[in-house]
Amino acid sequence: MKFLPFIWRNLLRNKLRALLTAGAIALAIALVCLLRTMPDGLNLMLEYFTSNTRISVHAEAGLVYPMPYAYLGKVRSVPGVEAASTWTWFGGVFRQEDGVSFPSFATEPETVGTVFEDWEVPKEDLEAFRRTRNGALVGEMTLEKYGWKRGDLVTLEGEVIPLALEFRIVGVIPNIPHFMLQREYIDQAFRSLDPQGLSWTGMIWARVDDAARVEPAMAEIDALFQNSEVETASETEKSYMKNFFGMLEGLVVVILVVTALVALCIVFIAANTASMSVRERFQELAILKAIGFNRRLLFGTLIAESTVLALLGGILGAALALGLTSVAREATEGLDNTLRPLASFVVTQAILVQGVFLALVVGMLSGVVPSLGATRRSVAETLREVF
Amino acid sequence: MIDLVEVSREYQRGTDHVKALDRVSLHVERGRFAALMGPSGSGKSTLLHILAGLDRPSSGRVVVAGRDLGGLSDDQLAKFRSTHVGFVFQFFNLIPVLDARGNVELPLLLTSLSKAQRREQAETALRVVGLAERASHAPNQLSGGEQQRVAIARAIVSDPEIIVADEPTGDLDAANAVEILSLLRELRQDFGKTVVMVTHDQRGAEYVDEIHQLDKGVLLDAHSSASAEGAS
Ligand SMILES: Nc1ncnc2c1ncn2[C@@H]1O[C@H](COP(=O)(O)OP(=O)(O)O)[C@@H](O)[C@H]1O
Ligand SMILES: [Mg+2]
Repeated sequence: MKFLPFIWRNLLRNKLRALLTAGAIALAIALVCLLRTMPDGLNLMLEYFTSNTRISVHAEAGLVYPMPYAYLGKVRSVPGVEAASTWTWFGGVFRQEDGVSFPSFATEPETVGTVFEDWEVPKEDLEAFRRTRNGALVGEMTLEKYGWKRGDLVTLEGEVIPLALEFRIVGVIPNIPHFMLQREYIDQAFRSLDPQGLSWTGMIWARVDDAARVEPAMAEIDALFQNSEVETASETEKSYMKNFFGMLEGLVVVILVVTALVALCIVFIAANTASMSVRERFQELAILKAIGFNRRLLFGTLIAESTVLALLGGILGAALALGLTSVAREATEGLDNTLRPLASFVVTQAILVQGVFLALVVGMLSGVVPSLGATRRSVAETLREVF
Repeated sequence: MIDLVEVSREYQRGTDHVKALDRVSLHVERGRFAALMGPSGSGKSTLLHILAGLDRPSSGRVVVAGRDLGGLSDDQLAKFRSTHVGFVFQFFNLIPVLDARGNVELPLLLTSLSKAQRREQAETALRVVGLAERASHAPNQLSGGEQQRVAIARAIVSDPEIIVADEPTGDLDAANAVEILSLLRELRQDFGKTVVMVTHDQRGAEYVDEIHQLDKGVLLDAHSSASAEGAS
């Protein structure tokens, strides 16, 4: 400890160099910390978008093939299924020049709140949606885009179901663009075109009461419709994103490789600084040896020097990463919904500790070779070269 | 105090051997001020390094302050230097990032003294060399003569028995050289130090007790300095 002031003075011998090196280490550690948030962050983001107890049931042939509407009742009767809703694509267009600029689906207002619990639609809104025949629950993103608010009347022209209908906005769905309509209302209107009414649906969403019962429920649903006119394929919402997952794993590997390279890179930066600062004071080191500093002590003070520098850089970098993510989180909170998932990237305490620890290791590693070189030289020989 | 018996030091330079010291036997009594003189390349520095425990001979015995240096490990030699020998070199004596006091305190970092004791002892040493009021000056704010005095303060701060100086006046003008020589003389006179100095400086002869002449690695007969004889 009594050597600390001495170490500190040596460190500040070339302030600009120390500053630049610490800065490079800080940026690299910040980068490493940010990269380290990605694997968890991406996963969290996915969780954010999906629910693990929701099943999507659609025609085995593909999403664009309709299923008979009667399937809904059968899906609801499968054990473990708590609630189910259909989604039937309405294809609503608000402005002709925009085309279909948001997804619009007809659904059952009684169950949509249960099946999509995670949407967190306010209770009063769900209640209003149930009560209002031409009511619509509209995603916040679409509301903002068109400047609509609760109570507004909006006319949409269906592209799939060729009707121009007026809807009253009765509720808001946070964070998504969906425009949800009462199936009943569409069905009635559609009877003017086809006396059968809406006899099909594109998709059924079922909420299962327990994640463990998801697999059996999916098997049972698909079994129900085997050999019927339209066979079904059920998937969990997450497996629905399976492709995305596969991509994610590759991405995580890339991220880890980049992290390792960045770490290696700062070892070189720091080692360069350490070797420069050792080389330019061989004579001083010889004096210290003459005075009686032994190799271990000299090595220790040199290593301590590069370690202190790297540690300062590391702490700065970790703080930078923490600051950046906090700012990102605050800025996106409630503000712009498409950016909201940015809040998933959290620099945890563990990541901070790892970052600072990495800096520590970098500092020690980078100091080893130059310090060893300096302490190995014989005193008499160094003195000869200089004096 | 210093006893070298049949000390040789050879260097391998490419294929040929350089005999920097050839069976040198040197004896310096406690409390004497000895000068090593001789032409450049005659082995003065080599001899000084060996008797101070900075270098090891190829053969021969080195006994300093009662210790046979041949039997010491590198770490023990470092310890020996820190407790028994103070060093003054020609240039680059001081650590530029430390002020005068910090430089003088350096050897004390190797002891168990408290911070306050270290500071006090460093200031005492600076007072001895007459630089007490310059304690917080950086080396580059001091003249060459002052820098050498700080180096001397550092050499005596841990109260070693022996002071070795390799051409301490080599880089100084006449007035400063004289000052340094008298200071070294004082150390011997007032503190009973044994001082060994390598010098080219003919003036040096007036301040020392004995002169040892080296030529091509061979020690010629020692003779006492004229002034020393008159003085003692
Ligand atoms: N490390 C070394 N390698 C090779 N030769 C050396 C080495 N050190 C000293 N010498 C040689 O030993 C001789 C004595 O050197 P030195 O003791 O420095 O002389 P002085 O100090 O009297 O000028 C010189 O010829 C020098 O070249
Ligand atoms: Mg010499």
